[in-house]
Amino acid sequence: MERLLFDAVLAAVVLFAGLMVVLKHPVHSVLSLVVAFFALATGYVMLGAPFVGALQVIVYAGAILVLFLFVLMLLNIARPPADRGGRPVQAFLGSVGAVVFAAMLLGALRSSGAALPAAAAVPPDPASLGEPASLARVLFADYLLHFEAISVLLLAALVGAFVLARREPRT
Amino acid sequence: MIGSIPLSDVLLASAALFSIGIAGALLRRNAIQIFLSIELMMNAANLALIGYGAALGTAEGQIIVFFVIAIAAAEAAVGLAIFVALFRHTETIDVNKITLLKW
Repeated sequence: MERLLFDAVLAAVVLFAGLMVVLKHPVHSVLSLVVAFFALATGYVMLGAPFVGALQVIVYAGAILVLFLFVLMLLNIARPPADRGGRPVQAFLGSVGAVVFAAMLLGALRSSGAALPAAAAVPPDPASLGEPASLARVLFADYLLHFEAISVLLLAALVGAFVLARREPRT
Repeated sequence: MIGSIPLSDVLLASAALFSIGIAGALLRRNAIQIFLSIELMMNAANLALIGYGAALGTAEGQIIVFFVIAIAAAEAAVGLAIFVALFRHTETIDVNKITLLKW
């Protein structure tokens, strides 16, 4: 029953992700991806990672995709002109590449049979693993340096985005 | 296995999402949609990490996903700033028409 529900959630994710690629209008693509990310957050919760699920909703669906929508509306791109048949070779090779990649990925999955590496000797209580308190204990004890590096990276990205998007002074 | 969910289901969905992202990045000609496809590929990798983390009973999978989400936020901010600057210069975000670095 749990597996059935989980597979339904994943099917919804894949469906809306496919819709994202197929839809022509970029705003429709973004909205479709929002739905896919919400479903993915549900999947994370079912996999015992409620904190990451909340992050997925807040940061991905809430901040990043809203930023995409904001830029799309800022640029005010109307329906892009249909540029059909412009690059048939490119489209053909692109689809061949995507299909070959998917086949390779499936082949790798089949041959490995989702084999697990050696599991942790004493697995901690899996139910409490994804809770913010236990996650924070690992994050701030073992990965503090990485955490600080991320904060510097975010500051650099902030400055970079500001410099790049700034209006050029008229000289 | 996680509860009654087999890891293979998670990995299959992850592979499907990554392939969809590859197809989108290769076939779409709108820079924003290519960027969205790249975000989708990152989420496919995140799903695999969460699945393996849950199957192995370690917190490391979720920690890595935490970092990936932070880096994705930084990447989205800089990438979209580049698109805004590009649109100011060329009035388009169709990657077929942007040939500044071509010759």
